[in-house]
Amino acid sequence: MERWLRFKYVFIAVFLGTAMVAAAMIVNGMRPQVETRQPTEALVRASGKCAQCHREQTGAVVHEYELSKHAKAGINCLDCHGPVAGQKPMDHNGFTIATKLTAKNCARCHAEQYEQYARSRHAGSAWTAVHGKDGFTDAQLAETARFHPEAVDRSANSLLGLEGNSAVVAGCESCHSVGRPNEDGSFGTCTVCHSRHAASIELARLPQTCGQCHMGPDHSQIEIYSESKHGVLFEAQRDRIDLSVPPDRLTTNDMPVPTCATCHMSGLNGIGTTHDTTERLSWYLFASVSDKRPTFAQGQAHMKQVCTQCHVQKSIDAFYQRAEAVVASTNQKVHAVTEIVAGLRRDGLLTPKPFDEPIEFMEFDYWHYYGRTAKHGAFMGGADFVQWHGNYELLRLRTEIEAAADELRRRAASGTATSEGTP
Amino acid sequence: MIRWLGTLSCDARRLIIEIFVIFNLAFLAVDVYVAHLANHFEHTTEWLPVAFSVFGPLVLLPGAIRRNLDRPWAYFGGFAVGFAAIVVGVAGLVFHLHSAFFATPSLKNLVYTAPFIAPLSYAGLGMLLILNRLERSHAFEHALWVTILALGGFVGNFGLSLADHAVNGFFRVPEWIPVFAAALASSLLFMVCVVSRDRVLIGTTAVVMVAEVAVGLLGSFFHLQTLPGEAWRHLDVVTHRAPPFAPMLFADLAVLALIGLHGLAREPADDSRL
Repeated sequence: MERWLRFKYVFIAVFLGTAMVAAAMIVNGMRPQVETRQPTEALVRASGKCAQCHREQTGAVVHEYELSKHAKAGINCLDCHGPVAGQKPMDHNGFTIATKLTAKNCARCHAEQYEQYARSRHAGSAWTAVHGKDGFTDAQLAETARFHPEAVDRSANSLLGLEGNSAVVAGCESCHSVGRPNEDGSFGTCTVCHSRHAASIELARLPQTCGQCHMGPDHSQIEIYSESKHGVLFEAQRDRIDLSVPPDRLTTNDMPVPTCATCHMSGLNGIGTTHDTTERLSWYLFASVSDKRPTFAQGQAHMKQVCTQCHVQKSIDAFYQRAEAVVASTNQKVHAVTEIVAGLRRDGLLTPKPFDEPIEFMEFDYWHYYGRTAKHGAFMGGADFVQWHGNYELLRLRTEIEAAADELRRRAASGTATSEGTP
Repeated sequence: MIRWLGTLSCDARRLIIEIFVIFNLAFLAVDVYVAHLANHFEHTTEWLPVAFSVFGPLVLLPGAIRRNLDRPWAYFGGFAVGFAAIVVGVAGLVFHLHSAFFATPSLKNLVYTAPFIAPLSYAGLGMLLILNRLERSHAFEHALWVTILALGGFVGNFGLSLADHAVNGFFRVPEWIPVFAAALASSLLFMVCVVSRDRVLIGTTAVVMVAEVAVGLLGSFFHLQTLPGEAWRHLDVVTHRAPPFAPMLFADLAVLALIGLHGLAREPADDSRL
């Protein structure tokens, strides 16, 4: 016994040392799993090493990530930033990351959502509206043509060369990049709606998110929504609405008032979710003269199914009838004005070049601003946009166009107009 | 075991300590340079410890070469470097904590902040220099203070290895080895400082210190394993992977502790001072 007592101080020291290690293990065990449990060594390093620098250099993105569902699910920096097939790898402080992230990185986990998005007009069609076929691979064109054949065979928007590159880059592309063709074969990025490090479903359901692009005189959806009963109720009941509920569990109890995403995308009360924002549409409302979409019946049925979560079938049908009447009437008005301008062009009173004569801007505004506004207003419950911002403007502008056309013909008759259409 | 280490006089031990400090200060120039390279020397103050580590040894070197630390220029020069090292160390601690911890004081930010304990190595070396000049004639006390400073180093090493490997989430079990080794060394040295004349305790601690050297070598080997073959051609790879030199702090502190333990075992205590 005495022999062992000689080691009493050593025993005490070992006890103290063990207590220190035990305390360290307990504290480590209390840390969040995203920091302590990772499947691979690279991800282990990523969880800590990325944060070490980026907490200093771009602290907000680390903070945003930490608040995200991705962080709670243990998704790590390299899960998203690691290069996928077709992406250029880049050495970054000992890690290999993709030079540029695209929807393909998100598709590694959200493949179904990407497939749905790729079918929508948010994909390749959004980019062809600005640049035509430029920048697309054959495969990307084929994929776009599969769902939107009318959107593929077109040249770059004629305003591009007239307004200059800076306007195109800082203006058009800011929104239309939602469908930019990527070098890795995919389209766009999901971050346009979901943001980057927050990866937020709430953000995507906010009307303001859609309103970043769907606003202004040419597609004033956010203004119409704000004026509509849906928009007013959303503002009034914002604090009662839970935008964060997962899509497969979303009910009208969580979102008793719809936002853009609710009607166009959400899986409300068990209805299937879709990232194909065209799936529930029935008309080509954006076109100068609106035709039915090839999936008219299916699209309308899908949308009406969403409507029935809050409205009775009779009022839904009546609403659609009223809206379609506005479409038909607007089509007639636009057609008439288009004929006036086409007649001038046929008679050599206008040049074939677009946007070089005032009446061409008037014609463009006629359908692009006021025609669209009237039709969107009708389908989104925006009465003021059907009338004062839509049909009233159509009436006023048609009068002006007719007067301008008469003036051109009068001058041509008196020999003061040239074949270029200018005095 | 301790007898086997030789029969060093107090002056010889002081000289060894001085050389120990010079070597460590000089090596810190490289270590801090590589560490701050990861931050691209974003703050000008990050150059301060590098410059100090270059010029500090130059002040100390003449005294060590002439084997006389008591000449006025070596004596006061050492004091000056010592106090300056403490200032650099404490300032470094504050600056490192500023990187994240002071923004939001939490365990998480303590883990992900710049290694806050690391700059205290300067403070430790500074205190060794001051000790080497204040305790000239009391060999036992000198040895006890050396042991206390080695204890401080191992406590710091416990925190460093814990926080650094916590960043990895202790992905590999061997990452706990340095935590355990530092804890054991700290507790043994603590007991030695409390009960400084127990020869069984001193002998056991000395054996453990030799093992700590092995822990340091093993750690460096593991850290080097994380570097790809071509890493040395790309310095940024080295700076962002496991620091290859860091585990050698175990060996370094073990040597310091052994010097202290040797003095404790060999020198009679001046009870009037205790």
